[in-house]
Amino acid sequence: MAAKVAKQSRSAGVPGRKGAPEQEGEELPLQAVLVADSFNRRFFPVTKDQPRALLPLGNVAMIDYTLEFLTSTGVQETFVFCCWMASKIKDHLLKSKWCRPTSPNTVHIITSDLYRSLGDVLRDVDAKSLLRSDFVLVYGDVVSNIDVSQALQEHRHRRKMEKNISVMTMIFKESSPGHRSRCEEDDIIVATDSRSQQILHYQKTQGLKKLQFPMNIFHSGSNEFEIRHDLLDCHISICSPQVAELFTDNFDYQTRNDFVRGILVNEEILGNQIHMHVTKDGYGARVSNLLMYDAVSSDLVRRWVYPLTPEANFTDQEGRGCTYSRHNVYRGPGVTLGHGSQMEENVLIGSGTSIGANCCISNSVIGNNCTIGDKVILDHAYIWNDVHISSNVTISQTVVCDRAEVKEGVTLNKQCVLAFNVVIGPNVSLPGGTVISMHHPEEEEEDDDEFLSDDAEVGQTKDKKGKQKMFNPAEVGAEGKGYVWKASSLDDTEDEELTQCLWGLVLNPDPESDSEDSEPEGPDDPVIPSPEMDDVKVVQMEVLGTLQRGLEENISCDNLVLEINSLKYAYNVTLKEVMQILTRVVLEYPFQQQGSLITASQYVALLVPLLKIWSPVFKNYVKRAQDQLDCLSAFEEHFLEQENHWAAMVKVKALTMVFFFLLHQVLKEMYDLEILEEEMILRWFSLEPSTNQSRKLRKNQGLQKLIQWFEEAEESSEEDEE
Amino acid sequence: MELQAVLMAAGGGSRMTDLTYNTPKPMLPVGNKPLMWYPLNLLERVGFEEVIVITTREVHKMMSTDPKTKLDIKMKLDVVCIQEDGDMGTADALRHIHQKVKTDILVVSCDLITDVALHEVVDLFRAHNATVAMLMSKAHEFTETVNVPQRDFVGVDQSGKRLLFMANEADLEDGLIVRRSIIRKHPRMHIKTGLVDAHLYCLKKAVVDFLAENKSISSIRGELVPFLVRKQFSKMTSGQKRMDDTETVDQKNDGLTNDDLFFPSRDEALLQLAQERSCWNDHRGDMSEAYHGGKLRCYVHIMDQGLCYRVNTLSAYIEANRMAPKFIEEPAVHPSAVISERFQMGSDSMIGAGCHVADKTSIKRSTIGISTTVKEKVKVTNSIIMHGVTIEEGCNIQGSVICSNAVIGRGADLKYCLVGNGQRIEPEGDTYSNTKKSILLEVSVTFGLV
Repeated sequence: MAAKVAKQSRSAGVPGRKGAPEQEGEELPLQAVLVADSFNRRFFPVTKDQPRALLPLGNVAMIDYTLEFLTSTGVQETFVFCCWMASKIKDHLLKSKWCRPTSPNTVHIITSDLYRSLGDVLRDVDAKSLLRSDFVLVYGDVVSNIDVSQALQEHRHRRKMEKNISVMTMIFKESSPGHRSRCEEDDIIVATDSRSQQILHYQKTQGLKKLQFPMNIFHSGSNEFEIRHDLLDCHISICSPQVAELFTDNFDYQTRNDFVRGILVNEEILGNQIHMHVTKDGYGARVSNLLMYDAVSSDLVRRWVYPLTPEANFTDQEGRGCTYSRHNVYRGPGVTLGHGSQMEENVLIGSGTSIGANCCISNSVIGNNCTIGDKVILDHAYIWNDVHISSNVTISQTVVCDRAEVKEGVTLNKQCVLAFNVVIGPNVSLPGGTVISMHHPEEEEEDDDEFLSDDAEVGQTKDKKGKQKMFNPAEVGAEGKGYVWKASSLDDTEDEELTQCLWGLVLNPDPESDSEDSEPEGPDDPVIPSPEMDDVKVVQMEVLGTLQRGLEENISCDNLVLEINSLKYAYNVTLKEVMQILTRVVLEYPFQQQGSLITASQYVALLVPLLKIWSPVFKNYVKRAQDQLDCLSAFEEHFLEQENHWAAMVKVKALTMVFFFLLHQVLKEMYDLEILEEEMILRWFSLEPSTNQSRKLRKNQGLQKLIQWFEEAEESSEEDEE
Repeated sequence: MELQAVLMAAGGGSRMTDLTYNTPKPMLPVGNKPLMWYPLNLLERVGFEEVIVITTREVHKMMSTDPKTKLDIKMKLDVVCIQEDGDMGTADALRHIHQKVKTDILVVSCDLITDVALHEVVDLFRAHNATVAMLMSKAHEFTETVNVPQRDFVGVDQSGKRLLFMANEADLEDGLIVRRSIIRKHPRMHIKTGLVDAHLYCLKKAVVDFLAENKSISSIRGELVPFLVRKQFSKMTSGQKRMDDTETVDQKNDGLTNDDLFFPSRDEALLQLAQERSCWNDHRGDMSEAYHGGKLRCYVHIMDQGLCYRVNTLSAYIEANRMAPKFIEEPAVHPSAVISERFQMGSDSMIGAGCHVADKTSIKRSTIGISTTVKEKVKVTNSIIMHGVTIEEGCNIQGSVICSNAVIGRGADLKYCLVGNGQRIEPEGDTYSNTKKSILLEVSVTFGLV
């Protein structure tokens, strides 16, 4: 059996076997691509001196966790791709246990300055034909103990059943919203087919109130779907070799997100699918910002990532073993603890560290060879190696990098960062969220190009220290060294993501609950109008909107007519209804603008100019005699409805004003452009009054006078004509 | 009395007008029983003693007079008649009987034929103190072909019981939209299509009170239930609203305005206390209280197996007839039928009371209605023969529906046909196939599926 495996791997070792037949796939050694670069500047300025993959988490470099995860899950060959500070990563790996001859996982280190994204890496993978079969794709900052073998089996099974359809299996961990290890900015929503676990929709939810799923994802023939928001993306994916090819084919794919989106959108065209695997009990998280760093560190200390625990010393480095005692307190060799100092819970202290008297330490990680003075209070503090902390210092939820020095009486509030070699104090208090670095923020622009060059940059910054801009004692204290780092100085051209702060978004318990209450809930209106009412109402709203816009933007009446006409066809309402709506809208317009409590004279004052403006619109709809009658009855209806607002007398006055106006128009426009003819007004008046109220209205003296006046006017005009 | 049962039997059967032209839908014979017998039987089986039946005058008259449609029901039926052409929706009907509703109600539609364990639905209603609990079932294949283009999307939570979302495909042009706050509360939502709504609802009395106030809602399925489902997550039902409501429980009738949709139950304060003191929770993950403090809760029981038919289309009607023998414990051949010795009959057929079946006939997978005469050498396969039909010698009837009082002439050959009420097929030996000798001709036939 062993001979067979060996033979297999030898035959597979022949170069250029990219398209090796799938059947062999299962027996090939499992390969992995580890991307030891984040391709973003989230951790600046910390990562200016050390690449993210080498940042210590629980006193072990993050990349070691990733490699341990890969090895324990059965990966036999790992390609580590480095770019930013590649030589540091290479040095680290060459010294580590992964490069010993006994390592079950062969690590190949590939460095290039030209990688600018995950896409570049995978295109290079494709160009070099490194991969022979399905592989695990993972970032260098993933901490996980998930056993992917089951997912791998499913993935292979799917690929066997339907040749080359499924290109990727993404690994998710189940964790409810609000879980500590869920990073708010990486929150995702996934829609899947319940049966096949195929991903149909994948979206980041950050900042979204409503989640929209396009209908085409529900046309897959299945009748059960799942919308899941209880998933944490572990950033571990099992990819088929096609993935690298697809990245080559689509040179615009930069990130995995691009890829996933591209595959999902083009599913129907290309026929590629993405599936998911959900693990319930494994642990997997990517340290994508300092908040996640905090969360993952505490999880590690609380042993959620078992068997990767601090005392396990899985990196097999000498002198790094530590003892584990209750309340999750870990002490490395040579730790000295002063009189009266307490390590309350969840504390990890590295080797050679000495702690003074009467300190109180909880939920913290302290690196190797640190010295801590007396009466120091640490909570959620992450102290890396060779740090000096003097007496009477209080630190909460802060990262203190290598060789930093905190002098007496300093208080570091929440979410501060002291980058490498910074000196703070004495007797200052840093406000929350302060980031202090030896790099002047203005360097940023100067060495923009250096972003991709490796550690040559370190030398250059030393030169800059020669130029020495003065440290601001107000910021860092009298003896302090370091500048306040401003993340906002980043280019606009960078991804949106990068402009976010080091710590990531602050996790509110429920960030949207407040804003949501104020959100108007359109569809929840308790009144559900019956369907046929609906259209008329909708048209009325639209007409109102159109007219309003017309006023605001000075749109010509012709265009308004066009828009109203299109509404007529869109909602299939009759011309008569259009006119009624139009009349109603215009007559109600002053109420809309000024509220319903205006007096009649105000009303008329507002209405008349409006009528003047919109008279061409009316003219367009009020052409035939019947239209005029309809228009008048709409007027009447409206004024009758206004009963509760005004007394009848006032109403009539308003009505009179309108008639006068219309008549005025009529006269002015010399009968050929008229809207309403007085004939029609008379005819309307003579019509059988339908309701009591309208009868009352007609009997009103003012109105009768008006009508009388009309009649006389007509007679006289007839005479004139003769 | 915990629940009052209400049977909705006023529907016109607008999707099967061929059949309901002469016989109102609740009276259509299925397995020689009127359709409305099935839901009544369902209620009787679980021990209801009284049912409010909302129906039309016509049906009421038939119920009390026509022996053919006699309901074999021991329960006390409280029949409420409504206008036939009044265009009343189901919610309107509930509003109509508002005065009679004293407690929570169980609403059943007359066209439901199911062997569901009714307690499943009622238990959901009780256990969660739900506002509404309803029944759905996986769709059967024959129904899918009838209304393919517009699927209903039903969203339930992880347990598959809590109803979170409900929409028709026709209303989802811009895609399916879910508020993020809902997803946060129920991070795992199953969206199901291909479900049949059985139109069986448990409703809180307060819902009926609410209906009485809100005249704009006219249909339970179309408006009320979607409205309640949406309301579950609106701000009304949570937070400080609850506080002042508990104070005003005594005067809840004043408090129940159109906007204020709060449904207090009888023992609200006690339940509240029990929930606070209990460590039980309906969800995991976040640390918030059970139901996230929501007062309005909709639940659905989705049948995985078992029969559930809504007899509202022709194909469903035919299917229901085929399944009917399973529901009826009576002998397949009614004792009063006069049957010749020399005839063949399959075990899955039924012959009603007072039938005359002559020699050399063969009846397979068919239902023969009351007082029907089948003469010699007739072959009936896969068909439904209603009451009082006469089939002359030598006919061959296959996959057809013959409505009441029709006469099939000698030697007629009918395949996949619908013969309307009182129609006469001339004895010329013509072969009809896939046609309808009926008053209404324009509706498409779905016999091909049978």
